[in-house]
Amino acid sequence: STDRIASMADTRDIIRITEDTEDDFEQVVGGGGGDEGVRLIKESAKSRKGRGFESEQDRDDTMEFDAVGIDDGDTAGPQRSVEGWILFVRNLHEETTEDDLMDKFNEYGEVKSLHLNLNRRTGYIKGYALVEFEHYKEASTAQNKLNGADLNGQRMQVDWGFTRGPSGGGGGGRKSRRQRDTKPQQRSERSRSR
Amino acid sequence: MATKDSGADAFYLRYYIGHRGIFGHEFLEFEFRPDGKLRYANNSNYKNDTMIRKEAYVSPAVMAELRRIVTESEIMQEDDQQWPMPDRVGRQELEIVFNSEHISFTTSKIGSLAEITGTKDPDGLRTFYYLVQDLKCLVFSLIGLHFKIRPI
Repeated sequence: STDRIASMADTRDIIRITEDTEDDFEQVVGGGGGDEGVRLIKESAKSRKGRGFESEQDRDDTMEFDAVGIDDGDTAGPQRSVEGWILFVRNLHEETTEDDLMDKFNEYGEVKSLHLNLNRRTGYIKGYALVEFEHYKEASTAQNKLNGADLNGQRMQVDWGFTRGPSGGGGGGRKSRRQRDTKPQQRSERSRSR
Repeated sequence: MATKDSGADAFYLRYYIGHRGIFGHEFLEFEFRPDGKLRYANNSNYKNDTMIRKEAYVSPAVMAELRRIVTESEIMQEDDQQWPMPDRVGRQELEIVFNSEHISFTTSKIGSLAEITGTKDPDGLRTFYYLVQDLKCLVFSLIGLHFKIRPI
């Protein structure tokens, strides 16, 4: 009967939620969060293609991941990296050089790291770069001034590279409450209210 | 709960390469989730090395660039039906949800471009090969700079 199937599904939800302690709070935040977000996006696809569907490999989803200052809860403001602040630059002309970028960005502070990756097929640059400043002020000013600036005839897009919390498809959504000292039953009940 | 991600904006990408051998299950895997979370794992028991597991939220700008890279590659138009099956030497998996399409490709390890020329679908495999290289470059830069590690 459908009642029995529904209650079986609920049991599975509880088991999955309490095992996956890292992600159960993300399920409260918008549609894009955590394991739930991954499951939802896969289910929402209208077409499927590939041999990977024939045999789903057993994946170990219980491992924990190291993070820098991550906050699964509220904000999508910029996140500092281990040694500085990283900007993500896009829409770079394919012949842009590291010197081109250093010239532009060094105006706002000392560039600590610069990655200008190549397109492995063409040998030109792929079109993006990562630029690291040590201080927030330097990065923030560079982001403000250089976003939209011309370089080799194209307008650079300059943004932060990392955020403190989720963004993307979810955008806002409800803020999750991070209370890690609650009991498993309470956590799962809260997570299941959508 | 309304999901904002069931539309064309929704994006998910996972790549895995690995094998099980005398040094255990050696693998590299990374995953970009719809909410911007990037997860990276690299496991090898070679010389008793341990697992590296890192995660971070990348900005919408990074996710947009990822979408552009995937679009440019035209991987969503490919199919793995003619590709070599995963084997003892290893397996690769590429799973992407984009524009309401979900692909999940599996194949063996590809050592070099030379290996591709003899296969039944060299163009498709070449597309896959270059996309994987571009994705690895992006992920290694993101993880390497964010955590100041050499991620491989």
